[in-house]
Amino acid sequence: MSVDAPVRNKVQESLLSRTAAMLIMAVCTVYFLTPIWWLFVGASKSSDQFTSTNPLWFADFDLFANIGDLFAYRDGVFLRWMLNSILYTGGAALLGTVLAAMCGYALAKYRFRGRELIFNVVLSGVLVPATALALPLFLIFSKVDATNTFWSVFLPSLVNPFGVYLARIYASASVPDELLEAARIDGSGEIRTFFKVSTRLMTPALITIFLFHFVAVWNNFLLPLIMLGDERLFPVTLGLYSWNTQVNQIPELRGLVIIGALLSITPLVVAFLFLQRFWRNGLGAGAVK
Amino acid sequence: MTQTMTTVDVPEGTETPHKGGRAVRYGRAVPFFVVPFGLLFVLFYLVPIGYAIVQSLYTVERTGTFGPAREVFGGLVQYQRVFEDGPFWASIGRVLLFGVVQVPVMLGLALVLALLLDSGLVKGRRFFRLAFFVPYAIPGVIAAIMWGFLYSPNLSPLKPITSAVDFLSADFVLWAIANVVTWVYVGYNMLIIYSALLAVPAEVYEAARIDGAGPIRIAWSIKIPLVMPAIVLTTVFSIIGTLQLLAEPQVFRSFSSAVSSTYTPNLTVYATSSVPNFNLAAAFSVVLALATFILSFAFLKFTQRKGVQ
Amino acid sequence: MRTAFRAASALLVSALALTACGSGGSDDDASGGGTSAASCAPSSGPVTISYTTWIPGIENVVKVWNDKNPNIQVKVQTGPNGNGGTYQNFFNQLKANNTPDLGHIEYDALPSFRVQDGLFDVASCDIVAKAKDQFIPWTWNQVSFGDDKSAWGVPQDSGPMALFYRADLFEKNNIAIPKTWDEYAAAAEKVKAAGGYITNFSQSDINQFAGFTWQAGGRWFANDGQQWTVNLTDDKTKKVADYWQNLISKKLVSTVPPWTTEWDNAYNSSSAWTWVSAVWGANSIMSGAPKTAGKWRVAPMPQWSAGEDIAGNWGGSATAVFKNSKHPYEAAQFALWLNTSEEALALLNKEAQLYPATTAGTKYSYLANPVEFYGDQKIYEVFADASGKVTPDFTWGPTMTSTYANASDGFKAAVSGTGTLNDALTATQKSTIETLKSQAIPVKE
Repeated sequence: MSVDAPVRNKVQESLLSRTAAMLIMAVCTVYFLTPIWWLFVGASKSSDQFTSTNPLWFADFDLFANIGDLFAYRDGVFLRWMLNSILYTGGAALLGTVLAAMCGYALAKYRFRGRELIFNVVLSGVLVPATALALPLFLIFSKVDATNTFWSVFLPSLVNPFGVYLARIYASASVPDELLEAARIDGSGEIRTFFKVSTRLMTPALITIFLFHFVAVWNNFLLPLIMLGDERLFPVTLGLYSWNTQVNQIPELRGLVIIGALLSITPLVVAFLFLQRFWRNGLGAGAVK
Repeated sequence: MTQTMTTVDVPEGTETPHKGGRAVRYGRAVPFFVVPFGLLFVLFYLVPIGYAIVQSLYTVERTGTFGPAREVFGGLVQYQRVFEDGPFWASIGRVLLFGVVQVPVMLGLALVLALLLDSGLVKGRRFFRLAFFVPYAIPGVIAAIMWGFLYSPNLSPLKPITSAVDFLSADFVLWAIANVVTWVYVGYNMLIIYSALLAVPAEVYEAARIDGAGPIRIAWSIKIPLVMPAIVLTTVFSIIGTLQLLAEPQVFRSFSSAVSSTYTPNLTVYATSSVPNFNLAAAFSVVLALATFILSFAFLKFTQRKGVQ
Repeated sequence: MRTAFRAASALLVSALALTACGSGGSDDDASGGGTSAASCAPSSGPVTISYTTWIPGIENVVKVWNDKNPNIQVKVQTGPNGNGGTYQNFFNQLKANNTPDLGHIEYDALPSFRVQDGLFDVASCDIVAKAKDQFIPWTWNQVSFGDDKSAWGVPQDSGPMALFYRADLFEKNNIAIPKTWDEYAAAAEKVKAAGGYITNFSQSDINQFAGFTWQAGGRWFANDGQQWTVNLTDDKTKKVADYWQNLISKKLVSTVPPWTTEWDNAYNSSSAWTWVSAVWGANSIMSGAPKTAGKWRVAPMPQWSAGEDIAGNWGGSATAVFKNSKHPYEAAQFALWLNTSEEALALLNKEAQLYPATTAGTKYSYLANPVEFYGDQKIYEVFADASGKVTPDFTWGPTMTSTYANASDGFKAAVSGTGTLNDALTATQKSTIETLKSQAIPVKE
């Protein structure tokens, strides 16, 4: 062995590990993206070609005609579902984030009686499966004749104990007490300080909470399934599910389910693309450089 | 519990100690901040839990074959039915088996990917981060519909595999579902761990590197211990998610003959409320929620104790 | 505005519920129990009827009614099919006292709703009582549960069964069209030898199996007014289960899950040669197996003994008036129009291929035409004939959802090689009795 062998070994090793790492990344990329690619290709085909042509490559590109069919089906009920989903998830996530941020902020920045109790109860709420709540929520809403309404899904979706927990961490980490003191000396009230100063410091964290909350509501299946009877109130997930159960009676629905699935995931994927900067910053918000 | 979880992204001790005086001076703002959330939490979390417990203590009585039902207090009779219900406990066993295999696989993969992203060995980190994360944007119902097609022997682009192995048969379907869940959640868990890694100051590694530790050694003895709290957190959420499995198996029922109406505990709850037997369904819910709570709480306590040592 | 108000009261009431947790269950008695023998009187003034169904294209049918009846406007809601979620909604709404006026309920689910005390007796409406004779007797029996004085819905459609078969393949391979189940099993061997399957055994379509049993004379449930009898393991049912188990064990039938693309594919690719199915199955084949156009024919269902002429039934539903309806008379009036008038039945057939439950309905002209897909055979004549040969006294149990679920769990296991169909039925017998008991419904053990 020559003297520079260790150096060469090191270079080789590094090249080897780089290649291995990239290989793993490539395999995983295929795993994660193939189903989405398949969905996109499938959505672009007529139902005939869907079963008879290569599932991973295009045949006649009918995507826009298919989308047209989807939007026209039953007076555009699909668009209505998309709108509902945006209202349920966007609305609940937005308002829910504000509420969670306020509560978490107070738990982080003020000392008051029952603070730990509140925090622990809320934290226990994180451990309670949301599906266990759906049935009793239904029974309660039914007492006041309020099932099958927009609010019966919207209001319970506002509550996000995990958001409170995150907000508390982020508030402790990113809002210095000195700054609050300074604001007080300037004569700013606590509530004003929160909205003007603290929320700004917490913005990346708030976006993270918002996105977590958004996805949680977006994924919630049991609550709308149990609460809603009127399909005009359905979120898009429930709508597509209900079409999927009717495929045996109305076979053309299978194609619509595929296209609908593609369209329903598009907004969130696009949102992820645009917001990814915040994701990283937000999740790492506690970092002390 | 609090202590373990507060350290997810925040190195120990960043939470500044509170100064006593403020509580008195600014206490009036507290209700403004806390009450809106608190009220909704009580109404839509605590009240339903209480109500489910109350419902589970009732039972129905009726006379004749079509006599109207009367709800009467039944004590623990519904719970007795729950404990005698074989399929329910079989479903609990099934999701536990699912969790024991799927959660480590998913989190292991997430950890490896996060470490690779953080290692500097990989080019195009932005792209990979996003590519792995995209499935998280897909709701469970839709993901299950997609994979249901991908598993179907006649339609699948994976035909060479699906014609050899029937993923939808009784032997494999649990793992077919596990794959769907893994596919959706790896990116999400990866991102949480990755963020925790980013939060670690570079100097921490410098010292190790000077001592001659290789990347694998650094990952094993420095990085992983540092992101342990994040892993604990993701594990807890995965445990909760596993016991809650509903949408994916529900969708798979139309693709596979092997998914029964009581395949997971939540399907049992749903099937029972379809009978309809709301009281028994409520008792199932309560037992399930309790089991979930105990399991995740025990896990937290366990890791906390280990952390202290 | 109104929903906002409701939501606000939801907040308030759940707050109250918290303070009054201890008495949570008891106020159900007052609302849930109760008022029997409601009268069927016309309302005064214009009314709006709500109607929930999953019939595709129902809006077009309802529009015809609404245009003609400005004082009885029907508002239709559609959702997933019954077991896909709509029944669950109905049960939930019953609990909440906010059901629609009218609901689409299949015959096999009617007793479940009756047990929950959710249905209005439409026989108390003179217009319905008078219309009784228009319906095919066995369909009426499905809504009256054998009691002449009551009816828990207006029969809507029916699913008389027959044998769909690939005439071309049978002819090419020189196999005779089976007239009995023995011949059918013998044909299965020949079909297998020719590289196909005689049919696909639909493991989760317990309703189809029930149709076979119905034809064979098995009777799963009986109700003497005092208690229910569950009989999923009588000799007739056993005979049917053994018959199919034999075909499954010998691998003479395929066993892909029904109503999937794979299942369509089994028919489309000529792998499955026959299907013993209901009248609405005609459309399922057309849409699922387009490549086989012109090659199918329909013959009467195979018989258990030569010379018999009995048909089974698979599916069919009623339009039921819910107990909480404020306008039962108008609701019944609409239901009657929907299910007996030629214009409505013709539209229902055009939009959703529903096959009528009235005697006159089966003879309407749109059902007399030759069907191109079936080589211009007048297939509906076969079904009209079958409809007259369905025995009338088959009764469904009060917890069919769970009975189906249990049986289908067992059937699925059986086709995967664990246990037999009869094992599944034995287990279902036991679990069905358990379910009845847990609901405090009297049952003979």
